[in-house]
Amino acid sequence: MPTLSFLNPAFLWALPAASLPILIHLLSRRRLPEIRFPTTQFLRALEPREIRRLRLREILLLILRTLALLLLVLAFARPTVTPSGAVTHAAAAVGILLDDSESMAALDDHARPRMEGAVARALAITNAARPGDELYLARATRPGEAESGRARDRVRLKRTIEGVEAQPLPALLQGSLHPLRLALQRSALPARELYLVSDLQRASVTPQARRELIEAAQSGIRVILLPVTEGRTPNHAFLAVDPVIRPGPEGRGLEMRARLGNYADGPSDRLALRVRHGDALIGGGDLNLRAGETRWVSMPLESGVAGQGAIPVIAESDADALPTDDRWYAVLGAPRHLRVLRIAEPRAGAPPPRYAALALDPGGNGASGFAVETTGPNALLELTRTRADVVLLDDVASLSADAEARLKRYVREGGGLVVALGPHADPDYYTRRLFPGLVDLTLAQPERAAEGSTFELRARLPGHPVLEGLTLGVGSSLSQARLSGIMRGRVASQRAEVVVQTTGGLPLVVAAPSVAVFLSSLSDDWGDLPYSGAFVPLVRGLVAHAARAPAGGAGTEPRVGERPFVRLAAAPSGAVVARGPGGYTSPAAVENEGAGFRAVADAPASQPGFYSFEAGGRALATAAVNPDPIESDLDPVPADSLTADAVEPSGAPITAISSRTALETRLNDTRRGRELWLAFLVVVAALLIVEILLGSSRVLAR
Amino acid sequence: MRLLDPHFVSKLARLDLKARLVVEGFLTGLHRSPYHGFSVEFAEHRQYMPGDPLRHLDWKVLAKSDRKYLKQYEEETNLRSTLLIDTSASMGYGSRGLTKLDYARQLAAALAYLMLTQNDAVGMFAFASGRGEQIPARSTMGHLRPLLLLLEKIAPGGGTDFAASLHSLAERLTRRGLVVILSDLLDDPDRIAQAIHHFRHRKHEVLVFHILDPLEVSFDFEREAVYVDLESGERITTRPQELRGDYRERIRAWREQMRQFCVEKRADYVPLTTDQPYDRALLEYLSKRARLL
Repeated sequence: MPTLSFLNPAFLWALPAASLPILIHLLSRRRLPEIRFPTTQFLRALEPREIRRLRLREILLLILRTLALLLLVLAFARPTVTPSGAVTHAAAAVGILLDDSESMAALDDHARPRMEGAVARALAITNAARPGDELYLARATRPGEAESGRARDRVRLKRTIEGVEAQPLPALLQGSLHPLRLALQRSALPARELYLVSDLQRASVTPQARRELIEAAQSGIRVILLPVTEGRTPNHAFLAVDPVIRPGPEGRGLEMRARLGNYADGPSDRLALRVRHGDALIGGGDLNLRAGETRWVSMPLESGVAGQGAIPVIAESDADALPTDDRWYAVLGAPRHLRVLRIAEPRAGAPPPRYAALALDPGGNGASGFAVETTGPNALLELTRTRADVVLLDDVASLSADAEARLKRYVREGGGLVVALGPHADPDYYTRRLFPGLVDLTLAQPERAAEGSTFELRARLPGHPVLEGLTLGVGSSLSQARLSGIMRGRVASQRAEVVVQTTGGLPLVVAAPSVAVFLSSLSDDWGDLPYSGAFVPLVRGLVAHAARAPAGGAGTEPRVGERPFVRLAAAPSGAVVARGPGGYTSPAAVENEGAGFRAVADAPASQPGFYSFEAGGRALATAAVNPDPIESDLDPVPADSLTADAVEPSGAPITAISSRTALETRLNDTRRGRELWLAFLVVVAALLIVEILLGSSRVLAR
Repeated sequence: MRLLDPHFVSKLARLDLKARLVVEGFLTGLHRSPYHGFSVEFAEHRQYMPGDPLRHLDWKVLAKSDRKYLKQYEEETNLRSTLLIDTSASMGYGSRGLTKLDYARQLAAALAYLMLTQNDAVGMFAFASGRGEQIPARSTMGHLRPLLLLLEKIAPGGGTDFAASLHSLAERLTRRGLVVILSDLLDDPDRIAQAIHHFRHRKHEVLVFHILDPLEVSFDFEREAVYVDLESGERITTRPQELRGDYRERIRAWREQMRQFCVEKRADYVPLTTDQPYDRALLEYLSKRARLL
């Protein structure tokens, strides 16, 4: 039942003033003059009818005046009505998840960062809290802090909110929502609300995050989405920079390559690109990108950069909606070094074929940028991220449960996985056990080409990183290689992409985040692929793709929020210290890594930039730290699609409030109730108008 | 014509003077009154003036000399008039310093004077509920004095009871004549009609001067008040502006009803308000007299 209450109840003492019209009426009646008149017979005849009319009018006027005064006094007392089911009656546990990811630095239509609107909303929620409410604050980039976010000191909490700025980090909504939900569920307070203040970026709203919201709603928590933006904001961004300095076209000059993306529904403007080394401009270029296109682009470099060893450079483009992704830090000329743990099984006592290992590290010394260690499946039992960047399962029949669990954990921690199938691989095992959770791919039995025919390789996504290094068009042939057998597979969701397929349309290379699957054999069991020119770039592309970490993971290049690291050829003498932008200084640990060493700073990088590792006052190496480009696509999920998720009638609803004004109105309604003073004043004005009209008209007098 | 203005006349002290001034002013204003001096005994001729009734034209002279002369007669009193003056309490009402009784008093004095100057016999009956004073009709000028004395003596008081007063008077007036009623007629209309009928039944001619105060007609009061009935003492609290329309309509209907009664009984009805000059009343009288003779 809705209830009525007053915010200024002291004014209710003035309620007796409403009786003034009645008192005035009574007093004025007593002081009526007497007029002596010849006869009252004509008045008497009129009297009963007129008296009734007059009395009716007087009563109406009295009621109007009394009501007007009554409502006026009540209006000053600020009446509020509380809708049924609102949290006004009891203290509430209120959780605020504030998205402070990189995309929140994007400018809105008024050229103000989205973060401003988000902070204003969070402050409005905090301001609306009443004594007794429990407030929890969580930030999307710091999932670990959510549970301890209960705030007792409101002033401090408001200061904290005011100080929140967009971080160059991806939003980890699921990781932040989970502890917040648990904290709210643990609260003893009857009313619980969870506010998600975010731009609801499509990349951040993962199925797991959706699940968290639904579970929160089902557990009785009122989930309120506060999207700070609507519709896709066009944005272009640097996605990667290849640290290799290459010879220019026809061997003239030098160039470097950068990968850019245009996250927009229309083509980009002409983008001017610049490469700076310190203050010196050492290269650049320009390009146009089509709608939704991501592309590697070559930029000419000054010839003087050759032979200087590792050069820290900054690649820049024109600033747009999200300025932080228009700059990329890279260390050019730095040796790329990926450690690949190749798992292969001996076959009938003979060692497994080494085609893949040779394609990655032909010299066996890591000079190609890949260090390959070949071993059996048992090595997976002790697999850690420090041991390998990528695991390559080369025609492995199946894994033990322990090895499989360890491998999955390794991938979750940011490790890469390349699965090359073959005649020995058990498709049922991969479909039912290994692939779930890693790649949405189901396998059927191997299919052999008919006698006299073969499978040819066709590029389906020529621009995909797996095919980096190959010049291809859509549907163009990868090589002259012919395959005689292939594992028939089917991609089950959009998170897995078919990059290469056969002439018959069968998937051959399937890529998912951190995972690449080659559905044929990387040896000569099923064709002559290892002898073709496409084999080496393809295998390297598979490994390089798998080594690229998904959002939040640790990859081959350090991201903001991770601990910066560098690879060292020799053990440093003395303690290693890492120094970075913003006064960053952290000791670094040195660990063995294959043939070399790896220095990892203790503290995570909080800003993008160059992090220099020193030992004994001597610079050892520099790491380039960049934000995760997953934040660059400023495409929000429609809030309606999230509210529609909560379909179960037993739970609380998921609602979305777009504007700040609507939020403040709702907060007022639910915390203090809906204020009615304005409505009361309007009614008072209406009553007075009616009173004037009634008083002056003859409608009732005649 | 200030001499016919009731308010001006009321400022004069002596009633006889008032009556004379009114009548003389009235006659002066008439300018060759067609009503003056028509009786049965021939007196002289006078030249015909447009507007003179043709029935007094001397046809023989016209035939002989082709000149138009009117025959004028020596006046002979054969009209007995009785002035009935209502002295009930309601007649004491006057909104502008002149009560209805004052008006009736002055009008009665003027009428009496006019009648006596016409050699008519004039009587008077001042009545209120349960009381009355009568002076029999005489035609000598000396009779004016007791009439005026009575008029000066009467004062408003008591209720109006036409049935009792008029019926008893009708019984007492044996010789037929003209009965002039000056009253506000605040009584039961049916009973008033019966009383008039009684006079008519006794072969009297009846002339009714219905005297009301202007405010009584218009009810132009402004503020809410307690209205006290002068006769019954009844108190009614009301707001004039709300009732005015209906009140006026009722007054108009009441006067129309009175007029209708009089027409039915072949009596003359003259509605008057105390702000109206006396000439209208006097003209009505003369017109009536002319019709009678």
